[in-house]
Amino acid sequence: MNIYVCLKQTPDTETKIKLAADSNGIDTAGIKWIVSPYDELAIEEALRLKEKNAGSTVTAISAGPARVVEAIRTALAMGADNGIHVEIPETADSNLTAKAIAGALKKEAKVDILFTGKEAIDDGAAQVSQLVAEYMGFPYVTSLVGAEYSATAVKAKREIEGGAFEMIEIQLPALFAAQKGLNEPRYASLPNIMKAKKKEVKPLKLADVGCSDADQKIRFKNFQLPPPKQAGKKVAGDAAAQAKELVRLLHEEAKVI
Amino acid sequence: MTWQTFVFIAVAGAAFGYSGYRFTLLYKMAKAHKAKAYRLDRIYERILTAIANVLGQKAVLRKKAAGIMHATIFWGFILISVGTLEQFLSTIYQPANFEFIGHSAYSALVFAQDIFTFAILLALSYASYRRYIIRPEGLGKSRDATIVICMTSSLMVAILLMNSFLILGEDPWFKDALPVSSVLAGVFSGLSLNADTSQILHGVFKWIHMLIVLGFAVYIPRSKHLHLVAAVPNTFFRSLDRAKGIKTINFEDEAVTQYGAAKITDLSWKDALDYYSCTECGRCQDLCPAYNTQKPLSPKALIMDLKDNLYRNKEKILAGKEDEITPIIDENVTEDVIWACTSCRACEIACPVFIEHTDKIFEIRKNLVMMESKFPAEVQSVFKNMETNATPWAFSSADRAQWADGLSIKTAAEDQNFDVLLWVGCAGAYDERNKKVMRAFASILKKAGVKFAILGTEEQCTGDSARRIGNEYLFQTLAKSNVETLNRYNVKKVVTACPHCFNTIKNEYGVFGGNYDVVHHSEFIAQLIAEGKIKPSKAVDETITFHDSCYMGRWNNVYQEPRDVLNSLPSARVVEMSQNHDQSMCCGAGGGRMWMEEKIGARINDKRTEQALATKAGVIASSCPFCLTMLGDGVKTKDMADKVRVMDIAELIDQSTS
Repeated sequence: MNIYVCLKQTPDTETKIKLAADSNGIDTAGIKWIVSPYDELAIEEALRLKEKNAGSTVTAISAGPARVVEAIRTALAMGADNGIHVEIPETADSNLTAKAIAGALKKEAKVDILFTGKEAIDDGAAQVSQLVAEYMGFPYVTSLVGAEYSATAVKAKREIEGGAFEMIEIQLPALFAAQKGLNEPRYASLPNIMKAKKKEVKPLKLADVGCSDADQKIRFKNFQLPPPKQAGKKVAGDAAAQAKELVRLLHEEAKVI
Repeated sequence: MTWQTFVFIAVAGAAFGYSGYRFTLLYKMAKAHKAKAYRLDRIYERILTAIANVLGQKAVLRKKAAGIMHATIFWGFILISVGTLEQFLSTIYQPANFEFIGHSAYSALVFAQDIFTFAILLALSYASYRRYIIRPEGLGKSRDATIVICMTSSLMVAILLMNSFLILGEDPWFKDALPVSSVLAGVFSGLSLNADTSQILHGVFKWIHMLIVLGFAVYIPRSKHLHLVAAVPNTFFRSLDRAKGIKTINFEDEAVTQYGAAKITDLSWKDALDYYSCTECGRCQDLCPAYNTQKPLSPKALIMDLKDNLYRNKEKILAGKEDEITPIIDENVTEDVIWACTSCRACEIACPVFIEHTDKIFEIRKNLVMMESKFPAEVQSVFKNMETNATPWAFSSADRAQWADGLSIKTAAEDQNFDVLLWVGCAGAYDERNKKVMRAFASILKKAGVKFAILGTEEQCTGDSARRIGNEYLFQTLAKSNVETLNRYNVKKVVTACPHCFNTIKNEYGVFGGNYDVVHHSEFIAQLIAEGKIKPSKAVDETITFHDSCYMGRWNNVYQEPRDVLNSLPSARVVEMSQNHDQSMCCGAGGGRMWMEEKIGARINDKRTEQALATKAGVIASSCPFCLTMLGDGVKTKDMADKVRVMDIAELIDQSTS
């Protein structure tokens, strides 16, 4: 099987976000970058599928500035065989990212199955997976929490609202967006980390994948940090007085009821 | 020359030949181990320790009754072996006895032999009483031991009978030097045997004696009594320093493809010698916090199981069939066994033959983590936090200096004019409880007028937990980065409140070019008090019990300073727990256990807390952030948090000084 995984490099979950000087983005200086945790689930799922199907290959693909090659190396260290990096600007939107990834995938001989995370933890847009599927003409399943694979089809279990699950049977090729609970991503072994350093990551430019700056539909400006958290308030008095005061505060100050 | 000469030469030749063959195999198996262990430095010290601990029985005698029993048997055997040698020689060639040393010297020799033969019988009676009646848990059941007790007792009885019939038959000139045998001879004289019969009986018991000795020679190489031979070199080759680091892997060396120990031969010859030396006394097991809380780990069983693995793979090892050697992890040495260790080293300190248990566990962990990515699931996020934010806790590296907000402490980057670098450590920087300790210690430093700085956000986890869990690669990344930072600021002296940071920087950074004068805050505060730079003056009207941290105590031999610090508190009464100093019990957090769930057995920290509470002290004092956390949790579990406070020594001193 020709297995592909799309991944995004995002700031580490503990990062203290600062705005860029022009407020059109975040200040990336000093940020520790990681593979978006949902994408790690996608990598793990791809690797497990490969391990069950001898002769399969896993290719990790990421679109982003030069730094995202590190994220591809992480996937290679976990056990992916090949890497593709499409260089797109730091400020790219979901559409440009998805089109660039699809463009690169179309250059590949055959894509049997495609994994992504359900969303990236930085912008949380949850757009790219479905856009890639659209550009590829693939059916897709988002919020994947379980799957049974055969050579041509997948029985997929996805999470839906209210803690319920939906079962879908889907023909390959198709795209699957991983949700927490799908698996526990592995920790790369040292020999694999060493080997990953020597694996090749294919570099592609926007023009190579048939994209241009015009594919960016959204431009961001005027970012603002959320207001700092206010100190909590303690409501005093007996239970009845507390309840009364709480209702008043929620109604008049917080304006939620 | 008589027929006896020929029979003896044939039998002894066969016995010693076979024994020699077995020893050669043991030597070859040890030599087939691949990891290096250099133990030929500081020869003079090695000779001294061998004399003290082999001839002097120093380590054995740490346990009183069993120690005296063993020393009696040991010294007795040395004396008796001289007699056995004499007997062997004179059997081959009659005049070759030791009487040439002079009548008085020879009399003294046979006197000592006679007395010790009896003393050994007494010691063996105690050994049997202990093994079969008292039955200490650590000793366990051992067929080997029963065989040896029977053989040795028979040997002693044979000697006494042989000598008493010698007295009756030959009436030798030195018979007055054989008091015990003379008493026996007195008893047998009642049988009114003639001289010839007595001589025959003397010959019979002499042969019984010699055959048992030869039997021993055959039996030893394949029994636990191999320690008779192996413990001597094992003591000589022991690790001479208490403080030691984990073996450093050279990741630059591309020829190295196996990290840590997957197979028994991935360990070193010294590890093999350790198994050969183990006599299964169980002292290690008695003190093991994991064993004592029903974990699957027993250091004694681990050594026996590794030895068993080695023996099971004997043929393959000797034939060089490397690929066929079965893995270390098997139904005996399970992963749970390996992860149960807190690296407290109570086992190593207890071992009378200086077996190094923890080094084996560290090497096995390295293989599990780096080669196979196998470790308790909860550790993965710890590794990831260390990789991205250089701390095991899930906090941003940008927040590392937040604990010092408002304290106007300079970082090394801000002001290079400092005498001491305060190494905060991840606990002091991020853990709410330990931030208070760090603020108290910084307050002491200010009161004492110490010119100090911190690294601020440039400080990273020392990597202690990563290394002890087996992630040597991650450890080295952190270590190299820290050494680079420390050297950039030309740091000479480091003080830290964390024994884990202390041990790592002091004992494990040297190989990466980091050589500093590293001091633990217990030592530093003790010195400030001794120099009069701070003076605890406010009364602390409390009974305080001090919990020894393994990494200050057993790993670095610092026991007195924290006690001196506590004793300097006016009105304080310092009491000891049942287990203290090098017999202290671990809190359960060492060896990376801080970051693992404790799913099997009782909780180690609860057990230690019980010991602390038993002292009725109002304050449990600690000098380690991990211990503080573990004992704090223990006190809460025992519902004693409102009655007993768990405090760092720095907090107590800070409260008592102005």
